[in-house]
Amino acid sequence: MVNHFRAFSFVDRITSVQAGVRIGGDYAIPPVLESFPGSLVAEAVGQLAAWVAMAAHNFERRPIAGLAGSIELLAPVQPGQVLALAAELESADEDAVAYGGTARVDGVPVIRLQDCVGPMVPVDEFDNPQALRDRFAFLCGSGASPGGFGGLPVLAAERNGGEIGRRATAVFQVPASAAFFADHFPRRPVFPGSLIMHVNLQLASALAQELSPPGPTARWVLREVLDMKLRAFIAPGESLNLEVRVSDCLAGSATLAMETRNAREIVATARLLFMPEERP
Amino acid sequence: MIDTTITKEEIVAILPKVAEIIAAALPCDLERVKPETSLINDLDAQSVDFLDVVFRLERAFKVKIPRGKIVKEARGDLSESEFDQGGVVSDAGLARLKTFLSEVPPERFASPLKVADIPRLFTTETFCKMVIRQQRAATAPGAAAPS
Repeated sequence: MVNHFRAFSFVDRITSVQAGVRIGGDYAIPPVLESFPGSLVAEAVGQLAAWVAMAAHNFERRPIAGLAGSIELLAPVQPGQVLALAAELESADEDAVAYGGTARVDGVPVIRLQDCVGPMVPVDEFDNPQALRDRFAFLCGSGASPGGFGGLPVLAAERNGGEIGRRATAVFQVPASAAFFADHFPRRPVFPGSLIMHVNLQLASALAQELSPPGPTARWVLREVLDMKLRAFIAPGESLNLEVRVSDCLAGSATLAMETRNAREIVATARLLFMPEERP
Repeated sequence: MIDTTITKEEIVAILPKVAEIIAAALPCDLERVKPETSLINDLDAQSVDFLDVVFRLERAFKVKIPRGKIVKEARGDLSESEFDQGGVVSDAGLARLKTFLSEVPPERFASPLKVADIPRLFTTETFCKMVIRQQRAATAPGAAAPS
C-alpha cells in the first residue's frame, strides 16, 4: 500500500524513547509544499505521542484524537524546516492516553500541546499491528526518508450564512477519496481530527478579520485552541455543518467558539483565542 | 479495604464542583446537572465526554480515577464470570451493581443489562462517589505518596 506511512505520517525518525513515558523525534517538512498549517504540526506531536503509547501496549491498542486542553500556536512554520518533536505521557492505560508535547524549529517552540487525551481503541480495527511494530522499529533505527507527504487537497468550507463579525456558518464536504485515507487508517478510513480543525480554523480566521481591528496597524491572529473535543469518527464523503461565533471581543483578545455537526450529532467543538499582532 | 459507605454530607460537599466540571465538559447549562442526572441519557454524553469529565475531576481534586477499573470496582469480590456472562450482567452482578450504584433509581437498571451499558447508569452523584473513593484511597494508611 503505497500511501501507508506516507500520505499522512509526520514522524520521520524517533530519536529517543522511554517506554510509556516520553519520546522525541523529528519531521522534515517537504520543501516542495506551499505551506504547512499549524494543525498538521499539532498532528505531528500527536502522532509521536501515539507511537510511544502504542509501544506501551504492544501495538494492540492505539490512541485516536479526542481532547486537547490547550494547543498554543507560537509561530508559523515553513516548508523545508525540520520539526524537533517531543511528547510526554501523563498516563497511558488501556482506555486512554494523556499527554503533552511540543514542536520546535531551531530550538524555538512553534507549538505546545497541553492536557491532551486520546481514547485508546483496538489497533486491528484500524491498521495491521505487525506493520506498526515494524514501522516503529524502523523509525527508531535509520528512520524514514523525508518527503512522503505530498500536501493536502483543497479543503475549504463553503460559507452559507451568519452575521458579519458575529457568526459564520458553512458546509464542508469531506472528500470521498483522498491519499491520506490510505494512511489514516488503512483498515478504516477516518477523516483526521486535525483536518477538521484546519477547515474550522480557516472559517474562524475569516470571521476574526471581520471584527474591529485591535489597532490601527494590527490584526487578529489565532494563538490558542482551547478545550478542543472530537466526539465522533468522520467517514469519507460525509457532509459537515460548521458554525463559528464570537464569544468575547475585548481590547487584547477575541474568543470564538466553534461547533461542527454531521447529520446526527455534534462531532467537534473548541474555543479559539485570537490575539492582536502588528501587520507585517 | 477502604470503607465504601459514603455519606450524603461528603457528596454534598463536592457536588457543586463536580456539577460545574460536568457542565463545562459537555458543555451544558449548570442548571441541567442535578445529582440524579444521567450523563448519557439526559445530557447526551459520549465516551469521550466521560474521559473529559474524569480528567477534569482528576485535575480539580488531585486524585487518580482508574478509568478502566470502574466496572471492576463495581464488581467487588465477584469474579468476572460471576459478574457477567457473555457481556450480560448476571443476577448476582446486578444485585452487586445496585448496591454499588445506590444513587441510581432501581427502575433505570435494564434487565438484561449489558456490561457495555453500565456507564449509561452513571449520574452526577456517581462521579462524586468516584472522587470520594479516590480521595479516601489516597489518604488511606499505606497509600503511595502523590508523585
